[in-house]
Amino acid sequence: MPITIIAPKPARHHFHDSHQTAGSDDESDTSSQQGASLDQEGDIQMLISQSSRPKHSHSQSSQNYNIVTPGEVITSDPQWMRGHGTYMTPQTHNIISSVAGTISRTNKLLSVRPLRARYTPEVGDLVVGRIVEVQAKRWRVDVGGTQLAGLPLSAINLPGGILRKRTETDELQIRTFFAEGDLLVAEVQSLFGDGGASLHTRSLKYGKLRNGVFVAVSGMGGGGGVVRSRRQVWTMEGANNGGLIDIVLGVNGYVWISKHVETAAVVEDNKDNNNKPSVGITNMEEVVSATMYSSQNDKIEVDTMREIARLRGVITALVENGLRVDEDMVVKGYHEAVEMALASEGGPDDVYLGGERGEQLANALTGV
Amino acid sequence: MPLDTSAYNLALLRVDGRRWNELRRIHAQIRTQPAADGSSYLEMGHTKVMCVVTGPSESGARRVGTTGGAAAGALGSGGGGSRDGDAEVVVSVVLAGFSSVDRKRRGRNDKGILELQSTISSALSSSLHTHLYPRSTISISLHVLSQDGSLLAALLNAATLACIDAGIAMTDYVAACTAGSTSTYAANDEKADPLLDMNHQEEQELPGLTVATLGQSDRVIVLVCESRVQVSRLEGMLAVGVDGCKQVRDIMDKVVREKGRRMLEEGAIEKGVGLEDMDLD
Repeated sequence: MPITIIAPKPARHHFHDSHQTAGSDDESDTSSQQGASLDQEGDIQMLISQSSRPKHSHSQSSQNYNIVTPGEVITSDPQWMRGHGTYMTPQTHNIISSVAGTISRTNKLLSVRPLRARYTPEVGDLVVGRIVEVQAKRWRVDVGGTQLAGLPLSAINLPGGILRKRTETDELQIRTFFAEGDLLVAEVQSLFGDGGASLHTRSLKYGKLRNGVFVAVSGMGGGGGVVRSRRQVWTMEGANNGGLIDIVLGVNGYVWISKHVETAAVVEDNKDNNNKPSVGITNMEEVVSATMYSSQNDKIEVDTMREIARLRGVITALVENGLRVDEDMVVKGYHEAVEMALASEGGPDDVYLGGERGEQLANALTGV
Repeated sequence: MPLDTSAYNLALLRVDGRRWNELRRIHAQIRTQPAADGSSYLEMGHTKVMCVVTGPSESGARRVGTTGGAAAGALGSGGGGSRDGDAEVVVSVVLAGFSSVDRKRRGRNDKGILELQSTISSALSSSLHTHLYPRSTISISLHVLSQDGSLLAALLNAATLACIDAGIAMTDYVAACTAGSTSTYAANDEKADPLLDMNHQEEQELPGLTVATLGQSDRVIVLVCESRVQVSRLEGMLAVGVDGCKQVRDIMDKVVREKGRRMLEEGAIEKGVGLEDMDLD
């Protein structure tokens, strides 16, 4: 059998011409109001006007694009407080970095954002997770963090009405709501002292996931991946008869792309009442709950599946090329991908976005 | 083939043409595997090592009812336990069959490999801030692709880089290298020069030790000596080794900074702030 050996790709050039540098500068300046920006020579330019006070002593960080590495003394000035990513030695006032990353500052608090790390939960984060363990009164959910998150039985919408009190029967039937391996979307409700998280799904927006595909990219830890943004969940129209597609970008870097299903209440209601669009709010709760914990997929058309696959390709291509994943980028990337597919010889059925195609997509998005 | 040590005194050059205080070429990369939490690839001369870090992560149902040691034992790896509740560092080392000249069949419980694993695990768990990741496991998987001496040092360096890539908090780099002496134990030569960074040939013949320090400090956290050597020669060897570790740390630091700089340029991470503009009240 003949074997083809593909020659290794040459190393990518990293923004040497001025055009690209300018482009990346604009982007980061608008997205992060950090007070310092890099100009084309790579020097640090301080936006805050020079004051007449003497500068604090600091390490060689400014020559190194403000990257600090483990063991590097950030400052020995006692006025600063140490935050995440730093530690202090007992006798001295030295604040030393414990991870490789960039310095961030909140008033007097110095912390280091790592270049990349596992997801650290924060209250209010929308996360996608997978059940790994079922205990007596709670589930343990993998959200990509350093510890498993907990989802208490009391923090889910129980079927059969709003805010029903949980009973012993519910405890016995705990696996009928979520079982091992189920995917769900939830919100971080509270944090424990050791950094663990407790989730809740007490909203119709949250709950079990079905009819779609799961993608894991890196999350808030840094270095591309999903970023916290205004909208983490949206519905978009798929091209080529794709129908409506839901996308859930979990802050933890887990992504869910699925066929959009009209709220079950509407469907059921229409069936019963011959298309009278009347959904009572109490009524809805009851009907929704019947399908809420179903693990059965609906019928998904081939066109929808193809567009879901294309969206997945867009997201992995964004990650592979070190771009952030948010609504704006995914929507733009998707339209670009549809165009690319139409232009390619495979036509709209061509959903491949790896390798060179992915780079082409990334270049189109960064405007190079 | 026995090493001809008699030639050293003529030109003061070692078998591979280095001086006594020269390191071999060190080449390192981080983030070699995008799907992993942290990964690295390191070459020290012809010793080539690959490392993948998974975690810190909680292993779910597997740990219920088992102690940390038992869970680690199930993986056949050295579990760097520590106090209860702190993260556990589990190391597994795999020597590829093609990595050395003779293809040796090594069992799962090869004593040499077990010792490597437990040395690396205890070294890293003393440097990593494991108290920040309670009830979790940091799993370090090391693959040796090619062996040419200083294996333990290369493994330690690769593991450090991968942990940095994984964003695990640590006190400082664990930088390791080997040191030896120019004449054998039997020769009993008091004036023997110390040697830095031994290759496989030298390791076979000459006394040597592996030393690892914590970053730029002189704190030795690993010291392994498996050969006979006169005590009088030890001090010189150790001094050279510690000095070599500092050089290794600088090389690794450069690799990490370069990667960070590139990520900043690509806009993958937000820029940091300098300390100059911090003199606000």
